[in-house]
Amino acid sequence: MIAQLVLNGFVTGLLLALPALALTLTFGILKFPNFAIGAMLTFGAYAAWVANSLLGMPLAVAAVASAVVMALVAMLCDVLVYSRLRDRGSITLLVSSLGISLVLENICRFAFGNATRNFAFEVARPIRWHGLRINQEQLITAIVVIACVILIQLLLHASPLGRAMRAVADNPALAAVRGVERQTIARITWCIAGSLTALSGVLAGLDRAVDPLLGWNYQIPIFAAAILGGLGSPTGAIVGAIVIGLAEELSSLVLPTNYRQIVSFAVILLLLLVRNRGLFGGKAVRK
Amino acid sequence: MIAYLTTLIVLVAVSALVGLALNVQWGVAGLVNFGVVGFVALGAYTTALLAPPLGWFPAMIAAAALCAMISTVLAFLSIRLEENYLAIVTIGFGEVVRILLLNESWLTGGAVGIADIPRPFVNLVPPRQYDLMLAAFALVLVAIVFVLLETLVRSPFGRALRAVRDDATVAAALGKPVLLLRVKAFATGGAVMGTAGALHAFYLTYIDPSQFTSIITAYAFMAVIAGGRGSNFGLLFGAGTIMVLLEATRFLKDAFAVIDGTQLAALRLGLIGLGIVLLLILRPQGLLPEPQRKANDFFPDHEGTS
Repeated sequence: MIAQLVLNGFVTGLLLALPALALTLTFGILKFPNFAIGAMLTFGAYAAWVANSLLGMPLAVAAVASAVVMALVAMLCDVLVYSRLRDRGSITLLVSSLGISLVLENICRFAFGNATRNFAFEVARPIRWHGLRINQEQLITAIVVIACVILIQLLLHASPLGRAMRAVADNPALAAVRGVERQTIARITWCIAGSLTALSGVLAGLDRAVDPLLGWNYQIPIFAAAILGGLGSPTGAIVGAIVIGLAEELSSLVLPTNYRQIVSFAVILLLLLVRNRGLFGGKAVRK
Repeated sequence: MIAYLTTLIVLVAVSALVGLALNVQWGVAGLVNFGVVGFVALGAYTTALLAPPLGWFPAMIAAAALCAMISTVLAFLSIRLEENYLAIVTIGFGEVVRILLLNESWLTGGAVGIADIPRPFVNLVPPRQYDLMLAAFALVLVAIVFVLLETLVRSPFGRALRAVRDDATVAAALGKPVLLLRVKAFATGGAVMGTAGALHAFYLTYIDPSQFTSIITAYAFMAVIAGGRGSNFGLLFGAGTIMVLLEATRFLKDAFAVIDGTQLAALRLGLIGLGIVLLLILRPQGLLPEPQRKANDFFPDHEGTS
């Protein structure tokens, strides 16, 4: 029973890892928490659903298509909105991301209504392994997320682009002196964040169903994961996501499942009181 | 027509109260609150639960007091931190309220909600004219809150708040108690949001969780941005304009038969989102911005020394 919860929690955590990573990457470069992360996840899930159910692509192809679409949408948001507000402080960016969140979510609602949609995907029987029940979706989630995480870590630590991204995150002025342009790096970061979020949207839609509030249900846990890891730290976001996933699943031993989001909120409050840098955060966030 | 007009007045009044509250917190004091809807819901539920035993007025005061108290706690928790964290904590608070309202049915009636909420001054007028009475009550409430907040903003306290908003470090260096000022501003806003919730409950006489959606938060931000951050006059203008525009979208349904209820709701929310973004980019100071005061306004005897 507990082993099953731990397994489920681990997979839930992996699901949170991609958007938490996306959140932390954009925070690192642009210094504001993107409140549209949930809506981006929803939008990505709908994009994949259109490709999969309406256009008849296999789900894997649809997921890639949705990642490309979401990368473009995220970049478009940057070109049209975020880049124009960049110098006006993090709160202005924050509020503008609230606006973008409303637009993205309601484009989905306007086009497809409030009904829940499912991907055209054969549900296979769960695998039994040492008394544990492992769903096919859980397996897919684990493989996709771990692959993405490895790719992102390689990108950040073993490529010139990753070095440039880390340089801008650390000190944009100094990076600019060395010829790394913040604008370009910001656009690329949005593309990466967009595709990561879209993929997590597909996985979330596979786990539950696609509806306009899909991403909203993950919003608080995503923030909890990123804060727990220390906003701005990619490794932290992944570890934070897994801790939150485990905390949420294991809380069902003592709390009704409806209260899962409250667990994330409690983690946020506790962290702000005890260690506001998160687990991997470098600088204290206190002013 | 009269019935529709009174409805519109009450709706604008509720929205104006919510907007005025956010204007104190975010506009004047610079503290983002993404959990506006949570405070409004809490105010409405407190009123609904306490009005039957205590009467409408004590219930409304209790709603304001409870919201002020919770605002104080949240402010103490997170205001010492970077402003981004307050936003995250308040959005989490809003979600927690929603989850509690849905699941603690022994208290809140769950998804069914609470009905038969007592209204103010019911016996004063015949039932047929009650709507007019409530509209008048709503207007008086907005007027009182407006005068109180405007006095606050013009007082030394309000000046200190704006100083903290514009540069907390300088304000602290001048000996202003930054944390205390912020907590007070946040609590004041919370109290007004609780009052807005009470008015909402009086107007509908029944409440359920589905009435308290993110549109309330989005609307409040739109009203503050449109009116001009920090300007109470601007806020009333912004709140009124947006509400009338939003109400007008109802008629889109009649004009275009293809749009159904869900699409209409989506269209309105999407337009608010678009409005927020466009205003931030094109007219960040709002339509009726806060007056920029110069040192000379405060020291008329020392002209030219600013």
